[in-house]
Amino acid sequence: MASVTLSNIKKSYGSLGVIHGVSLSMEDGEFIALVGPSGCGKSTLLRMIAGLEEITDGDVSIGGKVVNELTPRERNIAMVFQSYALYPHMTVAENMGFNLRLSGEPKPAIAERVAEAARMLDLTDLLDRKPAQLSGGQRQRVAMGRAIVRNPAVFLFDEPLSNLDAKLRVQMRSEIKTLHQKVKTTSIYVTHDQIEAMTLADRVVVLNQGRVEQQGTPMELYRKPANLFVAAFIGSPAMNILDGTVEADGGEPAARLGDGTAVRISADRKVKPGQRIKVGLRPEHLSPGAGRGALAGQTLLVEPTGAQTHVVFDLAGQAVTAVVDGEYPARYGVRFQASIAAEQVHVFDRESGIAL
Amino acid sequence: MTEMSSSIRMSTGTKIYLYVSLIIIAAVVVVPLLTTALGGFKTLGDLRTNPFGLPVDWQWTNYTDILFGERYWRQMMNSLIIAVLTVTLTISVSAMAAFTFAHVRFFGSNFLLNYFLIGLMFPAATAILPLFIRIRDLGLLNTYWGVVLPQVAFGLGMSILLFRNYFRNLPEELFQAAFVDGCGYIRFFWHVSLPLSRPIIATVGIVSFVSSWNSYILPLIMLNSEAMYPWPLGIMVYRGEFGTEWQLVLAFITVTILPTIIVFFLAQKHIIAGLTAGAVKS
Repeated sequence: MASVTLSNIKKSYGSLGVIHGVSLSMEDGEFIALVGPSGCGKSTLLRMIAGLEEITDGDVSIGGKVVNELTPRERNIAMVFQSYALYPHMTVAENMGFNLRLSGEPKPAIAERVAEAARMLDLTDLLDRKPAQLSGGQRQRVAMGRAIVRNPAVFLFDEPLSNLDAKLRVQMRSEIKTLHQKVKTTSIYVTHDQIEAMTLADRVVVLNQGRVEQQGTPMELYRKPANLFVAAFIGSPAMNILDGTVEADGGEPAARLGDGTAVRISADRKVKPGQRIKVGLRPEHLSPGAGRGALAGQTLLVEPTGAQTHVVFDLAGQAVTAVVDGEYPARYGVRFQASIAAEQVHVFDRESGIAL
Repeated sequence: MTEMSSSIRMSTGTKIYLYVSLIIIAAVVVVPLLTTALGGFKTLGDLRTNPFGLPVDWQWTNYTDILFGERYWRQMMNSLIIAVLTVTLTISVSAMAAFTFAHVRFFGSNFLLNYFLIGLMFPAATAILPLFIRIRDLGLLNTYWGVVLPQVAFGLGMSILLFRNYFRNLPEELFQAAFVDGCGYIRFFWHVSLPLSRPIIATVGIVSFVSSWNSYILPLIMLNSEAMYPWPLGIMVYRGEFGTEWQLVLAFITVTILPTIIVFFLAQKHIIAGLTAGAVKS
């Protein structure tokens, strides 16, 4: 196990910069998720930590030692790839023990460590099979087994669940979390799926266009997004974003939407009357029902998911989603009313996108 | 691909057209082979009056005389030694060169690759005189190496191209995983690339085997002792001796082409897989 530190990491391909000075510090045993949309540089960053990509500028340190010039093997990292990257001509046991074989470990020691990892991942019965004879989930477990068998300082996961179907993804997600709780190895996990990042990680780093937008615990990011990008990226369904102008509504600040609807905002927000803002409403914070300051509009779409129903309604000419109880009698075309507590209304500067 | 082919429904007319075409193409290939093999069972008179039919009286001795004679086996052994050396050297050299071209970028790599590929445009016959002089200067005239080395050199262009395309189509993540596991280029080549390249090894092996087996001009120029002759030269000598007895010449040809046909049938799955490797994304 080891801490990982990135100091002002930059990466460019010729004149095209893709990572613009990222600095991060990951503690020993921590589980960090790098999350962001496609092309944000998260995989490039991971590959630079792994030693598979050259670093244009800055330092990567593992266990307090700068590793820029070291090979992946010398960095003592293990990586799990999206496509599993198992060796098709080797059995499960050979795949898992390959790195130990290369480092000249005696055969009995390899067999013992492979057996131990196989027990941990429930792969004991599959050790003699070839990757082609395994299901997607089993292959991913072998890829994880290959990583843990060498007892690395850091685990790197590059979108390891993207190739699995939705049900298996949820199952593997909990297996990864359980595994981390058992081995407590520093883990860096790249994903574009914010649910995966939120459920797995101790700390989530949101990347956009090669820069860190925000980092923090999953709940910090959810409750206090630093800007519009993070606000829209974290949370599912995504936060509703509406244009508004700040007004003082009976002493309390409010955002006046395009159609004249007033949305009360918390008094501690740093806003001034007349300021042009973006208002962020999380769908799960919109409670159905009439009342003072209720937001109302015609129901455009009803999406039952079982325990919950997503109601999309028209507000100030924009489709706004509310998450309501599955038993709520939502119907297409009827008027839908919802209210939201002032403290739960997010406010962003319209020009800079920064949270106010 | 298989699913797609099986889902295409053909009309009866199309099917008939397809089968007739295939039968004609098969006949064009099979008739000369069958005529040669059956001709070997005939008497000379039978061959003249009935060149395409079944033998009236099966002359098994035409074949047994050849198979129990020393000449056929000596020429077969010569052909085998030359072919095995050619195949082994071609695979070893071209696989290593192709791996380098596929994975390592170095100054002049493109130029060097193109230099090898230029070899595709020139058959050995076009350079026969300088080749002869060089082999003579190396003291390799009338040795197996005098035939093997030029064959390997002229086969490198195609072999490198086939290997390189195959290596480039191995998933990049496999290379990265091996790199993380502690492989360098050489270990990746030996432990991962090569074991995964059986189809292309078979293809290159068969192509260079058949080309060596049928090679005529190089042995003709480089070998001058009849004891060293592979079978294409052997046929020439045999025809010189038995020029009027065509049934014997046909029997001799049949037993000499038999090994290549057997090898081809055994490896045809690999040959087709190797030649089409990377044509579509799997």
